[in-house]
Amino acid sequence: MKLLICFLILGSLSSPVWSAETESPETADVWLARLSQSLQTLNFSTSFVVVKNNHAEPYHWFHGVNEQNVELEILSLLNGPRRDVLRKENTISYIEPELPPYSVLSANLKGPIPNILSGDIHALSSTYNFISVGKSRILGRSAQIVRIVPKEANKYGHWLWLDEKTGLLLKLAIVTSKGQQLEQIQFTHLDITEKPSESLNQLQDTELPSVVDIPQGYQQQKLSWKVNWLPAGFEQINANRHRIASTKQPVEFTLFGDGLVDISVYVTQSKEKQRSVDYVMDGATVALSQVVKGIEVSVVGKIPSITAKKIADSVTLLARPQP
Amino acid sequence: MSESKFETVSSLVDNYQANDDVFDELVKDNHMSETWQRYHLIGDAMRDELPHSLNTDMSAAIANAIAEEPTVLAPISKASFSETVKAKVIQFAKPFGQVAIAASAAGLMVIGVQQNVAENDALVPNPIVQTVPFGGIAEPVSLNYQQNSRMSQQQAIVEQQRRFQALLQDHKQQLKFTALAEKPENAEKEVTDTVK
Repeated sequence: MKLLICFLILGSLSSPVWSAETESPETADVWLARLSQSLQTLNFSTSFVVVKNNHAEPYHWFHGVNEQNVELEILSLLNGPRRDVLRKENTISYIEPELPPYSVLSANLKGPIPNILSGDIHALSSTYNFISVGKSRILGRSAQIVRIVPKEANKYGHWLWLDEKTGLLLKLAIVTSKGQQLEQIQFTHLDITEKPSESLNQLQDTELPSVVDIPQGYQQQKLSWKVNWLPAGFEQINANRHRIASTKQPVEFTLFGDGLVDISVYVTQSKEKQRSVDYVMDGATVALSQVVKGIEVSVVGKIPSITAKKIADSVTLLARPQP
Repeated sequence: MSESKFETVSSLVDNYQANDDVFDELVKDNHMSETWQRYHLIGDAMRDELPHSLNTDMSAAIANAIAEEPTVLAPISKASFSETVKAKVIQFAKPFGQVAIAASAAGLMVIGVQQNVAENDALVPNPIVQTVPFGGIAEPVSLNYQQNSRMSQQQAIVEQQRRFQALLQDHKQQLKFTALAEKPENAEKEVTDTVK
């Protein structure tokens, strides 16, 4: 065994053709393509735990495809008040304590696992590198490690551990550029079945709550400010005015995304004239807030605090066209 | 004036005779006391102990000086004292006597407390704060300052946590609502362009 390792190391040093690194972009791509395929087509029941700071959130996750080729999905938070997400193809229903149940039309449910993993990962290739870094053992299975590494250091990396047999996700970690793990998703159970599980069959027969009507243009409003700097690859995907549910504070809001990560920027008038920047970290999610000249700017997203600060600093007010 | 009297005075000057009656007589009799003075002067001159400028009546000068001396105390001491205080505590000493002292002491108290607050952010009770300040001004100022800052610190922390909690929640909520808008990619790009 030792001999073999020595041989491999020697080999990788002496001839680049042999080394795993030159092959890695391809194998990483292959593995990620397989992950996406598996997440869309397999019938699986799994449990996973999201580990943030010093607390853990356990989830159940069921996915399946019925005879009519309709994708069914259930994601339930197991601790605390009930939070369930149900999905029938493009209708996503959220059952949460804060709001009466509602549905939205979307291809993806929003949970702890980035949607892009079941979509087209190549959309990220302009700003991220995909690197295969070898094997490991996760959940009693042998796993391939693939890293999604940002080309610029102003974003976090995502490390994935994928089941060699099925390509499914076994573990995910959000990692700083220095290699510190901020948030982990560790799967604790994985069952792959021929047919969708019983809960999914029940979901199939359930009528989902009515779809929320989001008016045309509501998410593309013209706001009285703009963000002048964002990390490479981010685009605006929502801009609206609303009130923050718990504080009833009116805000102007813009959501940016690069496919993997979402950044929310909030701008509002503040009672304070000036407040120096402060922030909190919830796992990898930073919430940063500062008041400059009576305008409060807050940035939320899975990005380094330095990046969030830079975004907040880049916000400038436009000459306000009075309504 | 009898010859014997002069002799008596002379012997007295030379410390040969210590008789209280002679002294009494000498003090009463003006002429004799002058003689006594003159004999002393002669003696000083012979021993070469005369001062350079000869003031023949020192006692009178001293008596005069004492008589002319004003009712000294307050004015002179006030001026010099306020000057020294000023030099030490520039901003707080104001030249009106006792009040100035109290005020400057009070000023120092407040500064001391403020510095301590700035240094220990921790809410450890501060010995300086607990002692009773001697100025009437210092007490309310320093104690209120401390309490207010503690109160507002705690309030600020609670306020801040509530704010961040609200932000994190709203971020998640918006992600759910936004889900639909992700799909039509061309529309997004147009929007970002017009915004830019």
